[in-house]
Amino acid sequence: MSIITKKICLLGDFNVGKTSLVRRFVEDKFSDRYLSTVGVKVSRKSVNVKTKIEIQQIDLLVWDLEGNTKFKSITPSYLKGASGSIVVADLTRAGTFKNLNQHIKLFLEINPQGAVIIALNKADLIPQEKLEQLVKNYQAHGFKRIVNIYTTSAKTGENVDNMFDELATAIIDITHQ
Amino acid sequence: MKSSPNRPTPDTNNGNGSSAAEPIDEPLDVLLDLLLDSKAEANSPATQPTLIEQSDLLSETSEQVEEKSPEPSNISDTVREISEQIKTEVEEQIKTEVESERTESILEETVADRALSRQTITPEIIEPAQQLALNLDTETASTEELANAVNTLLPLVVELLQFKLNDSKEEIIQTIKPVIDRLIEERTVEDLDKMAVAIAKVLPSAIRQGISLTPEEIARAIAPEIALSIREQIRLDADAISRTLGPEMGKAIKAQIELERDAMVDALYPVIGNTISKYMVEVVREINRKVETTLSPAGIKRKIKAKIQGVSEAELIFQESVGYHIRAIFLIDKDSGLIIQEIQIPGEKHLDAEMIAGMLTAIRSFANDCITSGSELDLIDYGDWQIPLEVAGYCYIAVVVAGEPPPQFIAKIRQVLGQIVIEHGNAIQKYEGNLADVPLGVKQKLEQLVEPVEDSSSKPSPILLWLLIFFLGIVFIPWGIISYRARIARNIEQTVAVELDAAPELSVYRLDPQVKDGKLMISGRVPSDYLRRQAAEIAGEIAEQNELRLDNRIFTVNVPVNPSSITGEIERLTDLFNRQPQVAIATDYQPKTLTVKGFILEPTVRQNIYRTFTQIPGVEQVIFNTVEQLPAIGQRIYFELNSSQLNFADNFSKINAVRNLLEQYPQLHLKLTARSDGMGSSDVNRRLGRERCQKVKAALVARGIKPARLITNCNTLILPDNPTSEDASWSDRYVSFEPFIPTNLSQ
Repeated sequence: MSIITKKICLLGDFNVGKTSLVRRFVEDKFSDRYLSTVGVKVSRKSVNVKTKIEIQQIDLLVWDLEGNTKFKSITPSYLKGASGSIVVADLTRAGTFKNLNQHIKLFLEINPQGAVIIALNKADLIPQEKLEQLVKNYQAHGFKRIVNIYTTSAKTGENVDNMFDELATAIIDITHQ
Repeated sequence: MKSSPNRPTPDTNNGNGSSAAEPIDEPLDVLLDLLLDSKAEANSPATQPTLIEQSDLLSETSEQVEEKSPEPSNISDTVREISEQIKTEVEEQIKTEVESERTESILEETVADRALSRQTITPEIIEPAQQLALNLDTETASTEELANAVNTLLPLVVELLQFKLNDSKEEIIQTIKPVIDRLIEERTVEDLDKMAVAIAKVLPSAIRQGISLTPEEIARAIAPEIALSIREQIRLDADAISRTLGPEMGKAIKAQIELERDAMVDALYPVIGNTISKYMVEVVREINRKVETTLSPAGIKRKIKAKIQGVSEAELIFQESVGYHIRAIFLIDKDSGLIIQEIQIPGEKHLDAEMIAGMLTAIRSFANDCITSGSELDLIDYGDWQIPLEVAGYCYIAVVVAGEPPPQFIAKIRQVLGQIVIEHGNAIQKYEGNLADVPLGVKQKLEQLVEPVEDSSSKPSPILLWLLIFFLGIVFIPWGIISYRARIARNIEQTVAVELDAAPELSVYRLDPQVKDGKLMISGRVPSDYLRRQAAEIAGEIAEQNELRLDNRIFTVNVPVNPSSITGEIERLTDLFNRQPQVAIATDYQPKTLTVKGFILEPTVRQNIYRTFTQIPGVEQVIFNTVEQLPAIGQRIYFELNSSQLNFADNFSKINAVRNLLEQYPQLHLKLTARSDGMGSSDVNRRLGRERCQKVKAALVARGIKPARLITNCNTLILPDNPTSEDASWSDRYVSFEPFIPTNLSQ
C-alpha cells in the first residue's frame, strides 16, 4: 500500500481560527494567543482512511493560508493543486459567514474537483442551543462540492479530527472516482 | 408492370365505403382507390405500410382541413401540417425508392393512376377556384369571406400537390423546396436512426463533392466547428490530437517562421526572452568572475596550469572552488507542491521532503505572483547552502546543495529535468499525490544528478596537448638548431681569430671573422695586399676544415703609417742586416723613399735587403747607394831608419787621404800593420813597429777618426821578404792600412 500525499488548504477571514485548527489537528495543542499568519505555513499529518478495499494512509499537507482582510486578498497560486479545502468562519462574527461563499468560489475556480468542508469555528464560545440555530441559518448550498458543515472548536478539539478525516475520505473518494 | 396506365379508375370501387358525394372528397376517394388497388396488386410487404400510411395521412389531411377550415387563423397551421404530411410521404417514397426498384415501379404506377384521375376531378376543382378568384377580385369581400374561400380551396391545394407529384419531378422539387428543411427536421425528430441511415450513405460522397465544387463554402461551413471538435476530441482522448499533430508541429513551426518570422518572434518572445535572459545572466556572471580573477596571481597561475594540463580554465576555477555536495534532490509538482520524487543522500540528516517542497512551492508562488510574473525563482541561497530550482512543465527540481555548485551542475539539472519532462511529462501532469504512480525512470534520472558532474572538458584534451607540443616544437626546435649552429659558428670564429692573432704581421690589425649562411666571412682592414692574402690563407684553412666557403672581405687600405714606427722598423732591419759579415749599411728614410748606403758585398744579400725594405708599409721605393767591394788603400807611411817619428811633411797628404776615405765610408774600419826593415834586433824592431802604429793612429784620431775604427796589429814583427840584404831599405819601414767591415757594429 503506497502512501498518498494530498494538499489541502485552510481558507477564511483573518482571526477565524485557521491556524488554531491546524495546530489542534497536527499537534493537538491550543493557544489563546493570536498570531497572524504571514503568507503561508505548511504542516503535515498522516490520516488513515477506510476505503472499500483497504485502509489507506494519506499524508495531508496542510497549507494554512494567511487570512484575507479587506485590504489584502489571498494569493490564488497557493490554492493551486489542492485536493480539498477547509473554509473557516467565526461563529462569533457574522461577517465571516458572509465571506464563506467568496472563499469557496475562489477555491473551486482553481480546483473544480476539490472537496470543501465548512468549519464554523469557536463553537465553545456559543451556547449549544444557539449553535444549532446558527448552523441552520447558514445555508451555503449551491456548491455541489461542499462535503459537510461542521461546528468546530480548536480550543476543545470538538469535531476537528472528524472534520479532517472526512475531508481526507472525500478526497480519496474523488480520486478513486 | 402490373397496372396499365389506361386502366379506367373512376368506376373502381373500394372496400372502405367512403364514397363522399362532395366535390372535395371525390379526388381523395379516387386516390384512395388507386392506393388500395396498387396495394392489392403489388403484394409487396415493403411498400404496403407506406402506401397505407400515405392514404391514412391523406384522409387525415382532409379531415383536418374540414375541422379547421372555419378558423382563418389556422390556415397557416394547416398548410404546415399538410407540408409535414407531404414531407413524410415524400421521404418515405424516397426511401423506398432507394430501397428497391420494385417500389419505384409501384410508385410509377400510382402516379400514372393519379394522372388519369386528374381528368375526372379537374372540373370540380376548377369551379371553386374560379369562384374564389371571383371572390378575391371583389375588394369589398370581407376577411371572413376570404378565409372561407381559402379554406375551401385548401383540400384542392393538397390534391394539386399530389397531382404535381405525378406530373414531373422538377415541379415536385419546386413545390417541396420551401418546406424541405422542416420536412427533414421533423423526420429527424421522429426517427433519428432511419434518417441517419438514409443520409449516411450519401454523406461522404456529398461532402467530397461539396469540397470539390465549392471548397470555400465547405470551409466556411466547417470552420466554426473545428475548434470545438478538437476540444471535444481532446476531452475524449487526450493523446489522440497530440499524436496526430505532434509530428507535424516541427514542420508547421518551421513553415510559419519562414512565412512570418516576426509573428513567431512576437509569439515566442515572452517565453524565450525569459529563458535567454536567465541564461545570459548566468553566463555574464560567470564571465565577470573570470575577468575579475584573470589578472590576479591566482588567475595567471591558473592560466598557465590550464595551458600545461590542456584543460579549460573554467574547469580549474571549478576545481579550485570549494567542493560542493548534494544533500537532497526533490522533484516537486509545480502547483500543489507535492513531492513527486525525492532522493536523500544517505548519511545526511533526513529532510522532511513534503514540508520543504510545500514551503518552496509557496515561496515560488509568492515570488511569481507578488514580485515578478513571467520569471522564475531559480535559486534560494542561505549561508553555505543553496537550493537551485529548475522549472519545466508541471514540475520543478529543487536540489539542496552545500557549497557552491558549479555551472556544469546547473546545466546538468536542466538537462535531467528536460529528459524527465519529455519522457514522463504525462505521468507528472496526472500526478495526484500517489507515489506509486510515479514512473521508475524518474528516480533513475534524478540519481544521475548525485553522480559527480562529468565535465566533457575534464578529459585532458589530446588535441590541445598535441597542439601545444606542436607549437612548442615550432618554437624550440629551430631555436635549438639555431643556437647549436651559432655555438659552432662562434667556435669557428674564435679559432679564426686566434689563428689570425698568432700571425705576427696580422696581430696588430683588427680582423673580424663571422660565420654566416655556410660562409666564413672575415672583414677588416689591412694596409697591404700581402697581409690580406696572409689572413685569407689562415682563414681559408680553417674554413676548409669546417666545410665553409671563405668570404674574404678584408680591404687593403693605404693607411697613413706612423713615421716613427717606419723609421723604427727601418732601423731595426738595418741593424739586423748589418749583423751579416758582408753588410755594412746605413739607411736614410724620407717619406716613401729609403736610401741605403754602405757596403753590401754579396749581391744576393742586396736582393734580400731590397725585398725586406719594400715590405715595410710606407716604404715604396728603395734606393741603393752601396758598394759591393771594399776600397783598397795603397798609401803607406814610411819612416826613417831607427826612428818612429812621423814625417808630416812627407805624409800629410797620405794621412788626409786615409782620413777622407774613412769619412766617406763610415762603416769601414781600418787595421794598421807595421813592417820592419830587419836591421838591428827584433826587440828594437818590435818597439819601433808599435811606436810607428801609435803615431799613425794618433795622427788619424787627431784628424777626427774614432779610435774604435782603428785597430793596430803592430806587435808582430814583420820582416822584409828578402832579409838577407845588408842594406836596410827605407821602403821596408812603413805602416800600411787594411780596410775591413766589423762583424758586429753594435758591439
